[in-house]
Amino acid sequence: MEKISGSQALMKSLVREGVDTIFGYPGGAIMPIYDALYDYKDRIRHILVRHEQGAAHAAEGYSRLRGKPGVAMATSGPGATNLVTGIADAMCDSIPIVCITGQVPMAALGTDAFQEAPIIGIVTPITKWCFQVTKAEEIPEAIAKAFHIASTGRPGPVLVDITKNAQIELFDFDPSAKYTFPTRKSDIEPDFTEQLKEAVELLNNAKQPYMLIGHGISISKAEKELKEFIEKSGIPVASTLLGLSSLSTDHPLYMGMLGMHGNYSTNKLTNQADVVLAVGMRFDDRVTGKVSGYLPNAKVIHVDIDRAELDKVIEATIPIHADAKRFLTAITPLMKRRDHSAWIKQFKALDAEEKKEVGDAELYPKEGEITMAETIRILSEKTKGGAVIVADVGQHQMVAARYYQFRNPDSYITSGGLGTMGFALPAAMGAKVGDPSREVIAIIGDGSFQMTLQELGTIRQEKLAVKIIILNNRHLGMVRQWQELFFEERYSFVHMDNPDFNKITDGYHIPNELVEKREDLAAALDRLLAAKGSYLLDVRVEKEENVFPMIPSGANIDDIRIK
Amino acid sequence: MKYTITIESENAPGTLYRIAGTMLRKKINIEELHVKEVDSKRHLSRFTITIFLEPDLMAKLIKQIERIIEVVHAEYRAVDK
Ligand SMILES: Cc1cc2nc3c(=O)[nH]c(=O)nc-3n(C[C@H](O)[C@H](O)[C@H](O)COP(=O)(O)OP(=O)(O)OC[C@H]3O[C@@H](n4cnc5c(N)ncnc54)[C@H](O)[C@@H]3O)c2cc1C
Ligand SMILES: Cc1ncc(C[n+]2csc(CCOP(=O)(O)OP(=O)(O)O)c2C)c(N)n1
Repeated sequence: MEKISGSQALMKSLVREGVDTIFGYPGGAIMPIYDALYDYKDRIRHILVRHEQGAAHAAEGYSRLRGKPGVAMATSGPGATNLVTGIADAMCDSIPIVCITGQVPMAALGTDAFQEAPIIGIVTPITKWCFQVTKAEEIPEAIAKAFHIASTGRPGPVLVDITKNAQIELFDFDPSAKYTFPTRKSDIEPDFTEQLKEAVELLNNAKQPYMLIGHGISISKAEKELKEFIEKSGIPVASTLLGLSSLSTDHPLYMGMLGMHGNYSTNKLTNQADVVLAVGMRFDDRVTGKVSGYLPNAKVIHVDIDRAELDKVIEATIPIHADAKRFLTAITPLMKRRDHSAWIKQFKALDAEEKKEVGDAELYPKEGEITMAETIRILSEKTKGGAVIVADVGQHQMVAARYYQFRNPDSYITSGGLGTMGFALPAAMGAKVGDPSREVIAIIGDGSFQMTLQELGTIRQEKLAVKIIILNNRHLGMVRQWQELFFEERYSFVHMDNPDFNKITDGYHIPNELVEKREDLAAALDRLLAAKGSYLLDVRVEKEENVFPMIPSGANIDDIRIK
Repeated sequence: MKYTITIESENAPGTLYRIAGTMLRKKINIEELHVKEVDSKRHLSRFTITIFLEPDLMAKLIKQIERIIEVVHAEYRAVDK
């Protein structure tokens, strides 16, 4: 046994968890931890963000590509509260991150001490777990537990708040201590042999079976098993926003994206399916439209690792509490080889309609301003669908989702459940650190960019080769679209008088270009992709483009509008 | 409908806050509440909580409560008049 401080124990515990990167920002109540970090510079890369929200989103981006929890660190009070948006975001989208906050000394808790914020009270409803450490000796187990909870079962954010006295106190640290945590009772996946039989029976005899996939496929790393399952069973697949890229978009059984701004065919035909197999998706209201008009006749098999998701929105005929990979591995051998080409033809017919009404014009415009869609199309062609697209929130997010042709898993990262504007720049930064071998391209609206653009400073300082494309329509486009369609064109505060983004980016010494003309777009994208370091394009796109198809909010999925 | 929920949980600070928070999200009012340690060796407490809720929401609420890491088990029964 050796006597070490709580801060030193924290470093040892983080190293034990395999932490190689921390996104953070120092301050008074976390100074002992930063002091300990100074001695770990060779083992842990600390990335100094420009706002703690950026640290949380960067940890999310890191986690999505590295496949283990990202770590965000902040001081007490305002540092901790600045993390809150990122934590809520990670909670909604099941992303494992571990946040560590400094706190005032235990003796000062509850006294309105300088920079005291009751962060445990604040984040309890938006974390999977959180814990306040008030004694140094609690640190090793609390950290082990934090990583365990964040990354097992349905992943999510956790926060460990460490009072300053606990950071300083010395205690007997046992380097050989092992911490194990039994599976919680409600996380134990019951035997599904019986349900599997019933599911196989339904699917093998279905006339028009339909598979819906979500984020759970990627979380479970079940992309290969998914492919084997569909290729054997011949069942067509559609994906939620967060399931995108789990299956290559050129797979013959991939029908497209579901939901409010998904494809025409995938939504229009949902209610024509007689058996629906939903795996790792939670029937979000953006996907279902009005629930009472969703799947009124189909038999539904719903597979989810979180039993609270089963029967939450849609009452399943066969609810199965299981990990996606385990389920798919078990069911594939039992499936009959079938051909559903007549059913798939129906999708293709509607796809042709969508292409004629929407795609052709926006993907290959001949005149007028540049469109978001053609920018994404050309980017997709030039990168051969191999990049990681990190999209912010708004029209540009939907257009990127609809038109980028994903070839590899984990290639679309966005804020789905919370819809956090400002997500993309810091998340792209974290993603690039998470997997430097991949080309990471942030697609950001002009409104969203201005929520977190200070992270350009981090990108510059850490020399992160993040590519940035602003799809600049001088509007809060998504809100403008709703005002046009549903609020009688009463455009209430959606126009933006923007600054010169190129000058701002110059200020951060990041190479950049303004792209205003169609004939300049392709070459500018070439330069962006050829750049060794970060590069930014401010692409001026059409001001008043709308994203279609669209299921109007609260409407039945069948009432999807193509224009 | 009137229900009594029994929850077995770790005897740890914040657990009541988490349970109450789960109810607050659905704007459920707590009519009666009782908490007591029931197993001092394993540090387990039992909560007994009475609420009014539509019957179809009850099973969902229990599953949400069981998501709380500190909660070991939860169950409910209707209170007959
Ligand atoms: C402006 C805007 C527009 C949007 N429009 C659309 C739209 O048109 N279409 C759309 O789909 N979404 C849209 N969204 C996103 C939407 O709000 C949801 O975030 C999204 O639909 C959720 O997808 P999901 O259910 O796959 O993922 P999540 O919400 O992440 O849910 C994943 C599910 O998988 C489960 N799971 C986790 N791990 C496993 C495992 N190992 N095995 C099995 N299950 C597991 C989880 O318990 C959870 O139930 C939009 C968002 C914004 C901001
Ligand atoms: C933090 C935050 N505030 C407000 C919103 C509501 N909102 C959703 S999309 C949107 C407009 C986004 O504008 P922009 O980033 O320019 O993208 P565009 O829709 O124009 O592509 C707004 C304001 C949000 N999602 N997040």
